Amino acid sequence: MDNEELTSYFDEQLFLPDLEATSKDELLKEIVNQFVNVKYLKNSDIVLEMLKKREVLGSTGIGKGIAIPHGRTTSASDIMIAFGKSKDGIEYDSIDGKPVNLIFMIIAPPQDENNMYLPILGKMVEILNKSKNRNKLMSAETFDAFIDVISKG
Amino acid sequence: MAKKNELELLVALQDLDMMIEEISEVKRLGFSAEREEELTNAREELASKISKPLLYSYEKLKIRYKRAIVPVKEDNTCLGCFVKLPTSMSSIGRTDTSVIYCESCGRILYWLF
Repeated sequence: MDNEELTSYFDEQLFLPDLEATSKDELLKEIVNQFVNVKYLKNSDIVLEMLKKREVLGSTGIGKGIAIPHGRTTSASDIMIAFGKSKDGIEYDSIDGKPVNLIFMIIAPPQDENNMYLPILGKMVEILNKSKNRNKLMSAETFDAFIDVISKG
Repeated sequence: MAKKNELELLVALQDLDMMIEEISEVKRLGFSAEREEELTNAREELASKISKPLLYSYEKLKIRYKRAIVPVKEDNTCLGCFVKLPTSMSSIGRTDTSVIYCESCGRILYWLF
């Protein structure tokens, strides 16, 4: 998967540059609610439960201020990625114990046409492993600026 | 969270099954996924809340198709076999909480709209 292709999975309606949440639970809820508000998802409870079960398996806070909550759900028909940013940081039980600032929530359907879910997850990890990308994402205030970082990632 | 109906329990079960199925791939990507046992325990607990005949039907469909439950979008197509569903079935499926099977492929249908 190349970076340009990855950008097609983002939507301005799911770009949240100023999250209000102050805890992990609130964070997951705020982003899932946005999926529901823009009618990408119908049932927030089922998706929230899936995401919380995923956190039971192990934290999706991968360190360096990044969290990538993710999972497949029967409540989705397409792969969708939401981006959220918290300037103050949110406690997330991350692997390095630090709060998260950049959150990418990836929701996938039970089966996706070209099996893109895992490659997308892998590509996100690759992009976010680079400190220059993390820094640029922290300062991206608009959706266009954000997409520019992802496409050049 | 409101008490789930049987269809929602099945959907939650399938979501858990998909997660368990992909643990090794997710680990390979560098994610933490160490507490597999807790997830399998949660799966057992969830399965115990579903009636035996329905659970049996789910398991049989899972063996046959890998995914027993498929979403239905606005175009009223079963996303398992891509056959257009009858309008009468869709109007029931959208509002009813009972378990409805695709007349063409037999998968369980879950309306998203």
